[in-house]
Amino acid sequence: MILKAKVYNKVFAFKSLKEVMSKANEEKSGDELVGIAATSASERVAAKLILSNLTLEDIYNNPVIPYEEDEVTRAIYDGLNLRIYQEIKSWTVGYLREYILEHKTSGDALLHISRGLTSEMIAAVAKLMSTMDLVCGAKKMRIQSHCNTTLGVPGTLAFRCQPNHPTDNVEGIMAALKEGLSYGSGDAVIGINPVEDNVETVTRLLETVKNFMTKWEIPTQNCVLAHVTTQMKAIEKGAPVDLVFQSIAGTQKANDAFGVNKEILDEAFALVQRKGTATGPNLLYFETGQGSEVSLDAHLGVDMMTLEARTYGYARNYRPFMTNNVSGFIGPETIYSGREVLRADLEDLFMGKLHGLPMGIAPCYTNHMKMDQNDQEMGTLLCAMAGSNFFMGVAGGDDVMLSYQDTSFHDDASTREILGLRPLPEFEKWLEKMGIMENGLLTERAGDPSIFDK
Amino acid sequence: MPESSSQTITSVGIDIGTTTTQLVISRLTIENTASGTLVPHVEITEKEVIHRSQIYFTPLLDRDLINAVAVSKIVEQEYLAAGLTPDKIDTGAVIITGETAKKENAKAIIDALAGFAGDFVVATAGANLEGIFAGKGSGAALFSAQRHQVVINIDVGGGTSNYAMFHEGKAVESTCLNVGGHLIEFEPQGDRITYISEPAKMALHISGQRLQVGERVTLAQLRPVVKAMADCVVEVLKTTLLSELTRKLLMTPSLRLEHPIRKVMISGGVADYVYSQQGPTTMSEVTAYGDFGPLLGWELKNCLETAGFVLEKPNETVRATVIGTGTQSVNLSGSTIHLQEKTLPMRNVMVISPFISIIPESAQEIAAMIKKEMLRLQIDHSESSVALAMKEPRSMSFVNINLLAQGVLLGMDDYLSQNKPLILVIEADCGKVLGQCINANTNRPLEMVCIDQLEVNDCDYIDIGKPLMGGRVVPVVLKTLVFNR
Amino acid sequence: MAVANNELEKVIIQSVLEELAKKGLLSTKSKDHVMSAAMMGTPLHSDDSSDDMVTFPSLDEMQISNPINADAVKAMKKSTPARIGIGRAGTRPKTMSWLRFLADHAVAQDAVFLDVSEEFLNNNQLMSVQSAATTKDEFLTRPDLGRRLSEEAVKIISEKCEKNVQVQILIVDGLSSSAIEANIPDLLPSLMQGLKSSGIKVGAPFYVKYGRVWVQDHVAALVKAEVIVSLIGERPGLGTAESLSAYMIYRPDEKTVEADRTVISNIHKGGIPPVEAGAHLADVVKQILAAKASGVKFNQQK
Repeated sequence: MILKAKVYNKVFAFKSLKEVMSKANEEKSGDELVGIAATSASERVAAKLILSNLTLEDIYNNPVIPYEEDEVTRAIYDGLNLRIYQEIKSWTVGYLREYILEHKTSGDALLHISRGLTSEMIAAVAKLMSTMDLVCGAKKMRIQSHCNTTLGVPGTLAFRCQPNHPTDNVEGIMAALKEGLSYGSGDAVIGINPVEDNVETVTRLLETVKNFMTKWEIPTQNCVLAHVTTQMKAIEKGAPVDLVFQSIAGTQKANDAFGVNKEILDEAFALVQRKGTATGPNLLYFETGQGSEVSLDAHLGVDMMTLEARTYGYARNYRPFMTNNVSGFIGPETIYSGREVLRADLEDLFMGKLHGLPMGIAPCYTNHMKMDQNDQEMGTLLCAMAGSNFFMGVAGGDDVMLSYQDTSFHDDASTREILGLRPLPEFEKWLEKMGIMENGLLTERAGDPSIFDK
Repeated sequence: MPESSSQTITSVGIDIGTTTTQLVISRLTIENTASGTLVPHVEITEKEVIHRSQIYFTPLLDRDLINAVAVSKIVEQEYLAAGLTPDKIDTGAVIITGETAKKENAKAIIDALAGFAGDFVVATAGANLEGIFAGKGSGAALFSAQRHQVVINIDVGGGTSNYAMFHEGKAVESTCLNVGGHLIEFEPQGDRITYISEPAKMALHISGQRLQVGERVTLAQLRPVVKAMADCVVEVLKTTLLSELTRKLLMTPSLRLEHPIRKVMISGGVADYVYSQQGPTTMSEVTAYGDFGPLLGWELKNCLETAGFVLEKPNETVRATVIGTGTQSVNLSGSTIHLQEKTLPMRNVMVISPFISIIPESAQEIAAMIKKEMLRLQIDHSESSVALAMKEPRSMSFVNINLLAQGVLLGMDDYLSQNKPLILVIEADCGKVLGQCINANTNRPLEMVCIDQLEVNDCDYIDIGKPLMGGRVVPVVLKTLVFNR
Repeated sequence: MAVANNELEKVIIQSVLEELAKKGLLSTKSKDHVMSAAMMGTPLHSDDSSDDMVTFPSLDEMQISNPINADAVKAMKKSTPARIGIGRAGTRPKTMSWLRFLADHAVAQDAVFLDVSEEFLNNNQLMSVQSAATTKDEFLTRPDLGRRLSEEAVKIISEKCEKNVQVQILIVDGLSSSAIEANIPDLLPSLMQGLKSSGIKVGAPFYVKYGRVWVQDHVAALVKAEVIVSLIGERPGLGTAESLSAYMIYRPDEKTVEADRTVISNIHKGGIPPVEAGAHLADVVKQILAAKASGVKFNQQK
């Protein structure tokens, strides 16, 4: 394993694969905060150069966190298809990049080798890729999943309607939900972040939304994004859960801070299979984001991008219905600017898809970052072109409970119309029945939440 | 100070109406609904009726006197049936409605009954309050909020029809018409008239019918009179230019009709006949309860439908008023207030509002306005306590609130020297700081209750209950006593 | 008439300048300069209702054309601060809702990136010290630096602050300088009055620039107060940039964690009004002093 490189007249030597991985990253404030970022542009390129020359076997043999010490590493290695890995282990990371981009390499072929790639390999190749590389690679892969409806159908783009309210007020939540539906947002899931993480609140919200879905025959999924253990208690008490949600991260230490581990997730998956309200087989909803390990002080000296890939390696064992990435939400100490968010979003989308995950992206930002709405809209269009399965839908782009900005109901409708994408098929039929959509375009009636209050 | 996140209280509602007397007991859940790091916000989150009485005929001694002993018997009996004693009742209200409110001993009765029914049960009356309670009890208020449609609820009882119009859950208009199913009395299931009330005589006169006590009548003879009354009920909904009969029957100013009415709900004793499929076909069906309620209900339905109104079924019909009284009479103050627990409860506190518009700039001017109003109402010479009510300080700044505190102390100087408690009710969320400023500006040991986020009007009477939720909030009942006006 | 004349004047000046520019007699840059000078000559109307001022329409204005149930739309808007019922132009937002969004984001960014003014600190007689962060960027990207005081701050506090008081109040900019400027003038006197009228010994409040919540632990180690109250600007949302939180801690030490702090949030004119919050906080501080604990331990005692 060669860890030394010469960029023109300058020689750079690195101590470990872990160091190479972190220094090969594009600039992000979180890597700088931890003190593992490249200190010069030349050093960054040197790291990339070294990485391109390493084989997949080198990476296999040097996990960034040892197998014995970390549950996430174990999940990644235990879930690997060794036969496929054996076939490709001699490839260099540089070759893998070209293989991904070759015309003759189909999306299916990528999903095939995916089974033999560890998360660190996937992170490594993404570090060699530019913005357009990432879009080209991600676009090839189509990952479908099924809960009540099918997500990821070619030619479609779905949205989570996210009608959050600062005090969990049911009336206010329903108002924002009606607004979202009237713009055609909500086919991926109706997902509420509760303020109060308790069984009563979660049950009340689940029941309210489920009753509304039943009354108006809305073909979608129902989810309240409380902690997984709260949702489990709610399921036990009979609450109508289609999808179980949980935030996860790329180290065992970070997952401990989230109050989650393999045992709990296994139990949650088994429970929703037995007592959930959805068809399945995909019944989990994960949220992830670059930097969560840093903000929890659980990064173990590994860079944010590699940790994010490891999160996907952990997630894929549960065959989730959806995995949403919220890198822009974590904060300026991890991702500071619009430029950093856009880069992270495209990396995450590509890495998630190469893990075989049904990915969605939240190109979002908080008010203490150097990012604005223009950055966010560029990110949305790029990720849509790269084949994101879904985005969020927030009234006016302003989440009044989580205090951050995400894709709006307007952006949802615009992105579909700009790229000629349609809602999920059953949902489109429902929109037509409600008079909200015709031939894939919003009607005059759309955007009026009072269509549900005749 | 023990502080739990919820508490239940038991509330009674007693309605003594023209024809019937009823009682319900409900359990109100009071909760702090503010999450973790927010300042507490206590509100009533659930109202559950746990006991409904039988429906009794209102016991009368004669046409002008209520049988007080029999009424208190009813209450005693129902408490027993519910497994409760008066000391277990936290709050509630007695309301005297319809024709019964006109009885000579009405005030005495309900005052006595209120004391008998529980420590903090309040006597209330007034046609407007009655209509609003009925509309809240029938579900009209909730319907208007949930369906975003203006609903008018008409509670048609034995003696009166009480209207309350609701827009987005709030009562926006109310009125009362002297039309009810018991204004002419008959031998039960018979056709002989035993009594004709004054308002019925007016209707007879206008419709050209000459019925007399002791006479036997046919359905064909009775129908035009009843239809004339039903027409009056519906006319109030249609126009502000009213016929002579309607004007005579109105007991309060009519509706202003500022909101187009989308739905009509009928509650009260005759409501069930409004929503029935078939009208009465014989006199014995009409006079099943010794009055013409079933026919009035049926005629009312026809008049409403002819006029193009859309009827909506209420959740409660005959019990709407009593349920509204039992569950809707209590208001909670804001959750940051200033008080001494030992001062409470207080009954029959008269509200005075010395500031017509914005509060003046200096403490002297504030004091002068208070003194003027106290003098006008001769407060300092009476025994009773008053509550100073105001909308908001000049601005929500510390400086202005401190000035207001100084002004109040100056203005209430004579009143306070009689060792009466200082009671302030302010709409804006600043009760606690206003109380704090008053304390900081005086050397006098002061009994004080300074509560906020309540809307009260000049000359309202209020009762203030013992604090709930470890002193966070106080229950307040507004009452409009017609007897005192 | 005066307004009309001014308008006319501007139009004339502008067309003259454009003519000059066309003839190359005036560079575009200086044109702007001259224009703004000319504009500055126009008397500014102190009256807010002046006709020639552009501002946002009322939020209550109906933005949806022919809604099926206008009352329902109004009620929905009332039920949530979310941006609903805002209508659309094609699939895009209407001009006013787009500009309002921009304005709200601008106000939020200004709250984060601008500092509390010197004038404000002088008017409120607040001594000012700084955390270990040296710039705003550093403060935002290095949370660790905002949690401790600069060496100079340590020296100032050690020299000037009264020791062993019962309560020490800190004003900390945190993520919103606007929250400080909007709330402190009413919150602080109300809180001080509440504490002092109960005979509680309070040190002179002072200001910490580029501070985070945990900086209170560092201050506590220096002044040795029983309770430290930090009044700190919250991360602005688009709804308000003025929200402030109070973090209270009883005798913090190295083992102190997040759960040991008692927090009251959402203090601003649209939440709990600052003046009322002050009186409420005074009560909470008294209870903390009596319980000799804050945070979870305090809640368990209640």
